[in-house]
Amino acid sequence: MSAYLDHAAGTPLDPRVRAAAAPFLAEVFASPSGVHDAARRPAEAMDAARVSVGALIGAPADEIIFTSSPTEARNLAVKGLLRANRALGGRIVTTRVEHPATLAACRTATRDAGEVVEVGVDPEGRVSPHELASAVDDATALVAVAHGQGEIGAVQEIAALVDAARARRQEVRVFVDATETAGLIPVDAGVLGADALALGGPAMGAPAWCGALWVRPGARLHPLIEGGLQEAGKRAGAECLPAIVAMGAAADLARAEMGARLATMRPLTERLMSGVLAVPDVRLNGPREGRLPGHVQVSVGGVEGESLTLALALRGVAASPGSACTAHAGKAAPALEAIGLQPPWTRSAVLMTLRWTTTPDEVDAAIAAFSEAVPALRAMSPVGVRGA
Amino acid sequence: MSDRLIDALGTYCPVPIALAARAASSLHPGAVIELLADDPLIEVDLPAWCHDAGHDLLQLEREGREYRALVSCWPARSAPQ
Repeated sequence: MSAYLDHAAGTPLDPRVRAAAAPFLAEVFASPSGVHDAARRPAEAMDAARVSVGALIGAPADEIIFTSSPTEARNLAVKGLLRANRALGGRIVTTRVEHPATLAACRTATRDAGEVVEVGVDPEGRVSPHELASAVDDATALVAVAHGQGEIGAVQEIAALVDAARARRQEVRVFVDATETAGLIPVDAGVLGADALALGGPAMGAPAWCGALWVRPGARLHPLIEGGLQEAGKRAGAECLPAIVAMGAAADLARAEMGARLATMRPLTERLMSGVLAVPDVRLNGPREGRLPGHVQVSVGGVEGESLTLALALRGVAASPGSACTAHAGKAAPALEAIGLQPPWTRSAVLMTLRWTTTPDEVDAAIAAFSEAVPALRAMSPVGVRGA
Repeated sequence: MSDRLIDALGTYCPVPIALAARAASSLHPGAVIELLADDPLIEVDLPAWCHDAGHDLLQLEREGREYRALVSCWPARSAPQ
């Protein structure tokens, strides 16, 4: 029995999403910018997708900018908002647990002038409104914070964070990375109170190669990719119609089926979490409650995260090292350091993410493989390193 | 108070004018567009477009490197006959 538990990185397309997008890889080929008959269907499909993605977060369609990925949406938000709001200052306040794309965009945006301030988190990965507000000063133009943290699963109380930042400086722009949450749990742009929200495909059941950015009118944004009129001039370049249509269809399904999906995922997540935590010397990273649905990340004493991921793969279980971006460089994941973990715990993480399509048999297979792989790896360890 | 805000910051002509034209086509006669732009060519292009298309350029002001314009769309069509 195999198990696929790497849904945060890529998730199988719902047949209904695939069916909606398929014609745009075949008979529907024209540019939606055309003025001829062949352009009508792609133009209408793109308009409909924009309505659907906007509806998922309670926003009007014309405030949605489609991008090629969540990473592009994050870059557009950070660099575009700062560049267009330089009059407010050159300082960005963000957190130590942001996605690497957000952190890198913040550093690039302030390379020539300005600075980035990274606010810490508590041991469960939560940002304190008070600490965030304390970091905002009169030179702070932008606050960037993730709604759901992809590695440790913590879901932030965004409205409280936005309120706290604005109480310190009313005009500060706030970018919220909702790529891990929008589509999985309710996200309302109006309620969160941010100026921009990044959205991603996998959380709503669309491909990883599609994303979007919602921007509040008047927030002011410079484009990252310049050229033509596409996406109201804020993201030039030919539109990837299959991705856009898939995202629209996935957004509709996410909105209609969110409750049922969460009801399916909740007991499976609890079962997986309890199963892997039953293995001795295993700790859950991030909060037990207030966590991304279907998200289980643990650190395992005496085992390297990459070794464990490979051992699980050899047993038919697809998981992910704690932080794919940093693991390849042999570095500890910043989010794990941010919650106060020390080596070897920072290097021993494995992330398993499930979805509503996951079966109980897959969860049981993953628990069995984990329970077998961990002691096997520990027995092989030449140094017998154990967790603290 | 405008009927539509167009953020054309960071784009170059003809994009700001094209965005304004696209917005005007979806608005009723007499509606007001507020256009934010930072391409200096807007000083030439916007008055010319308004003249050609029959719009009324109510205001075009510059602050630093940025421009803020108010355009009344087809005011003649909204005037009482």
